[in-house]
Amino acid sequence: MTLLTEATDVFAAAEPSGRCVVAFLAKRQPVPAGAFGPPEREAIAAEFRALQAEGWRLSVRAMFDPEDAAEPAAFDTGFAHAVDVAGAFEAPSLSGALAGTVRLERAGWSRRFATEWLLGPREFATVGGLDDAARHEWGFLAFWEWNDAWAAATGPERREYDAECDIAFKGDVALGIGIAGRHRLDWASSWHHIGIWEAPSLAAIDLAMRGHEAAADFKFTTSRHVVGRRRPLAELVAAD
Amino acid sequence: MGDCIWIHYARPRPHWYGLDESVKREKLAAWKAVHDSSARNGGVCHGRFHVRGQHDFETVETWRFADAEAAFRHWAALSAAGYGVCHAFGNHLRRAGVAPRP
Repeated sequence: MTLLTEATDVFAAAEPSGRCVVAFLAKRQPVPAGAFGPPEREAIAAEFRALQAEGWRLSVRAMFDPEDAAEPAAFDTGFAHAVDVAGAFEAPSLSGALAGTVRLERAGWSRRFATEWLLGPREFATVGGLDDAARHEWGFLAFWEWNDAWAAATGPERREYDAECDIAFKGDVALGIGIAGRHRLDWASSWHHIGIWEAPSLAAIDLAMRGHEAAADFKFTTSRHVVGRRRPLAELVAAD
Repeated sequence: MGDCIWIHYARPRPHWYGLDESVKREKLAAWKAVHDSSARNGGVCHGRFHVRGQHDFETVETWRFADAEAAFRHWAALSAAGYGVCHAFGNHLRRAGVAPRP
C-alpha cells in the first residue's frame, strides 16, 4: 500500500494491517412516533456485537488499547457543531468497512441519524494515549487536505514544513494528547487524511492549535476540526 | 459485475497551467497507463464528463470496480504518479445494488 508521505520524528508507519478507519459525522433526525425505539436500538447494539466479533474496534479509545475499551463509544458534538455525534471505528479491511456502514444503516442507524461516513486505511501508528484513560474524555477529529500551495512547493520546502509541524506534534503529546496515528481518506473523499486525538480538555486542544498555527501548519493544509466529549454510543443513539 | 461504484471529480491545480508541455505530456501518459492497467484488471470506466458549467470541478469520471480494494489500488497508483499533486479532487465510493430499507 503506497503512503502519500513518509514517517517523521513523531509518526512511525503503521505495521501493514489492512485496517480501515470508519469515521462518521452524524446528525439526529426528527423521528416519527414508532419509527425508532427499543427494537431498532437493540438491532444496532446487536450489529455492534457482530462487528466486534469480526475484529472491529468501536471507539477511538480501542485504537490505543483494544483491551481497555470494549464498549462502543463516540463523541457528543452538538454543543459546538451542526452534527450531534462524531466518532471513528476501525474495521479489518476496506471492503469490511464499507459493508459495515451499510449493515449499521440498515439495522436502524439511518432512521436515527443522517450520516457522512469517511473510510480509509491506517498509515501511521498511534502516538501516546496510554496514560490514565479517564483523563482523555475529549475527542478531536481533524479532516484535512494538502492545498494548492503544498502541491506547488518543492521537495525541500515540503520537508522543511514537515519538520516544523513535527515540533507542533511534539507539543501536542507534551500536553497529554494521544494521537490515533493517521488514516488516509483521499481515495473516497475530498479530504486527504484524518487525524484523531484524545485530549484531557478543550483547553488543551485550543493550546495545541495555537502551536500548530505558530508552526505555520495551515500554510500548506486546509482542515475541518470537530470536538466532542466521549459518551457510550448506546446513550448517544438513545438520546433525544 | 463489480460491487463498487467510484466517482471521481477533478480540476487542475493552478501550477498545472505553468508546467512545460513536455512535462504535461509525460504526466498524462503516466496517468493513462494507470487507467489502462486498472481496465485490464477488471475496472470499467464509464467515461469522463465535463461539468465545469455546473460544478466547482472540471470533470467527473465514474468507474465500476470489483471491490473497495480495487478502487483504492487505482487511486493509490494515480497518486504515486503525481496525479493528486496536479489536481484538486473529490472521490466517492458507493456499493452497487444496495436497496434502501423500507
